[in-house]
Amino acid sequence: MLELSGLRKQYGNVTALDGVSFDVRPGRVVGFLGPNGAGKTTAMRCVFGLVRPDAGEVRWNGSPVGPQEHLRFGYMPEERGLYSKMKIREQLVYFGRLSGMDPSAASSSADRWLSRLGLADRALSKLEDLSHGNQQRVQLAVSLVHGPELAVLDEPFAGLDPIGVEDMAATLRELADSGAGIVFSSHQLDLVQDVCQDVVIIDRGRVVLAGDLTDLRDRSDYRHLEVRVDGQPWAPSMNGIETVGDDGQRYLIQKDADVEEVLHRARQSGAVTSFSFEPPNLSDLFRQAVRR
Amino acid sequence: MSPLRQVMLIAQRDFLQRIRSRAFLVSMLLIVGVVVIAGPLLAAESAVPKPYKIGTTGTVQDGFNDAVTASAKAFDRTVGVSSYASTAEGEAALEKGDINVLLVDGEQLVWNQDPNYQLTSIVTSAVQGLDRAKTIASLGLSQEEAARLLAPAPLASRSLTAPDPSQTPKQIASYVGSLLLYISILMFGQFVMLGVMEEKQSRVVEVVLSRTRPRQLLAGKVIGIGALGIIQLVIIGGAGLFTLSRANVVNVDLAGIGARVALTVVVWYLLGYALFAVLYAALGATVSRQEDAQGVGFIPVVVILPGFFLGIAALENPNAILPHLGSIIPPFSPFVMPTRMTVTHVPVWEVALSVVLILLATYLVLRVGARIYQGSILRIGAKVKLRDALKAGSRD
Repeated sequence: MLELSGLRKQYGNVTALDGVSFDVRPGRVVGFLGPNGAGKTTAMRCVFGLVRPDAGEVRWNGSPVGPQEHLRFGYMPEERGLYSKMKIREQLVYFGRLSGMDPSAASSSADRWLSRLGLADRALSKLEDLSHGNQQRVQLAVSLVHGPELAVLDEPFAGLDPIGVEDMAATLRELADSGAGIVFSSHQLDLVQDVCQDVVIIDRGRVVLAGDLTDLRDRSDYRHLEVRVDGQPWAPSMNGIETVGDDGQRYLIQKDADVEEVLHRARQSGAVTSFSFEPPNLSDLFRQAVRR
Repeated sequence: MSPLRQVMLIAQRDFLQRIRSRAFLVSMLLIVGVVVIAGPLLAAESAVPKPYKIGTTGTVQDGFNDAVTASAKAFDRTVGVSSYASTAEGEAALEKGDINVLLVDGEQLVWNQDPNYQLTSIVTSAVQGLDRAKTIASLGLSQEEAARLLAPAPLASRSLTAPDPSQTPKQIASYVGSLLLYISILMFGQFVMLGVMEEKQSRVVEVVLSRTRPRQLLAGKVIGIGALGIIQLVIIGGAGLFTLSRANVVNVDLAGIGARVALTVVVWYLLGYALFAVLYAALGATVSRQEDAQGVGFIPVVVILPGFFLGIAALENPNAILPHLGSIIPPFSPFVMPTRMTVTHVPVWEVALSVVLILLATYLVLRVGARIYQGSILRIGAKVKLRDALKAGSRD
């Protein structure tokens, strides 16, 4: 298990991390969310010692993380980059070996990744000759080629087409099913909701919400209400109701609101064509957590 | 995974990627081609000196042609003599470059511009010899007496210390060693710097540094590119020796250099390269653009040049104060110490101190370089201020 504990980092008078703590458990996919500049990348870099926190500690299975632990982790940085003139298979083998694999294990893992990503026929191509999407795939393969026990992926979905997104999501799920812990940052909240079990939401260097996603949704004081009457969005005029989204069709309402009463009022105004009263989705949670 | 294995993996990658590149192949073929083809042409040009051309006008002593040919022979030179009807004609030929010197009436030498002292001696001794022969003849001396007068007994000579016939090849070896070091540092140091810069620019560095430490990355780069450099030098040097031996221009007395001197030169070459390559790597870490690289790239040159000149000074005065100090203090020592060790006796403790100091300096520069690297990788674009990078990169 990876534990980030009380991480603080100050750049001049900008506070990047202000006591960040959370865990990544084996077999779990953790969505790491936050507005731009919240400190996500800095926290991820701390895991690999790329940034040294002013205070706090990163632990792996209870002991502080050092160079030997880094070899058991995989990292995909936000700013992508590999050796552009190096052949992709060679590149995968190199990074596998740099993480401590022996040559034959690194070769067979490289081949496995290449065929899995549909790049087996491009094994001898230089990275720069690949399309942008395929370069992204290679980047993912590089971070996972050594079979890490923990994967830290900074915006892995950024810049992917819908098929690439599907592939990436499937890869992350498989990796977690095989027992690895995964933490990834993203801005695409629907995607995160589909892929991850846990979420950590960070804002201005502080964790503002963390835990099992289903739990968090159930425990929320709000419910997500969506009603259509005669095919039109409809909202009850009640206290404590809040519009969310800019289409004016979705509302947040107190958890203990009288659902029967809402439905009753809806019926009075016309034929109810759809009615949903559900735990809030991740976007709702996010919006509430980072409310400014 | 030991740190050393990571260093070697990184070195191996840098080495293989470069040696297999088309640019490397083409540049090596070009250089070897130039050395093998152009070398003999240049050598032929300079190997046999051209004959001196002497013009005469007015009175010329009898037998001048033979006398001047004989006196030129003493200098391993040949001469051609042509006569002109007037001084004006002779001067015109001089201006056109047809002749090197004009002898007027057997008593005045006219030059186009600067006098050539060797040619002055050749002509003077011919003229004086003829004059002396004439005087001797007028004195009525016998043939034998005349010969004794003209060929005085040569002076005998002896040395207090037996001269070392291998001294010259040794000096050449140490001079060539520091010249090679100088060239390699400029060339391969730049490669190291560019390599470091490229990794920063392509952002791959963050992927690499999530698996290894900056110190290992820098050391690996320096070793990989250094190995490439040595191969390059061996190829070029081999081509050069081949050309020299085939052209039979210079008698390269390799055996005369001796294993000890060869070893000294090679070891100091490696020590010097390591220190400067690490310095270049550290400098490369502070920049991410080509224009900025040129700016910082000249910094090592400022240190290399004094070292190189101290090395030359040491050939003449190995124990003067500056070469003496320079042979111990890095970064001058790799240029000066091998030269001193070749031409004079250097106490073991001085050599040991010098080696320890340069290794220490290399390690320190590596540490500082790694720290700069650590602090500057996450900043792309602007040149990183050294102080900021050091502060930010406190991990290593």
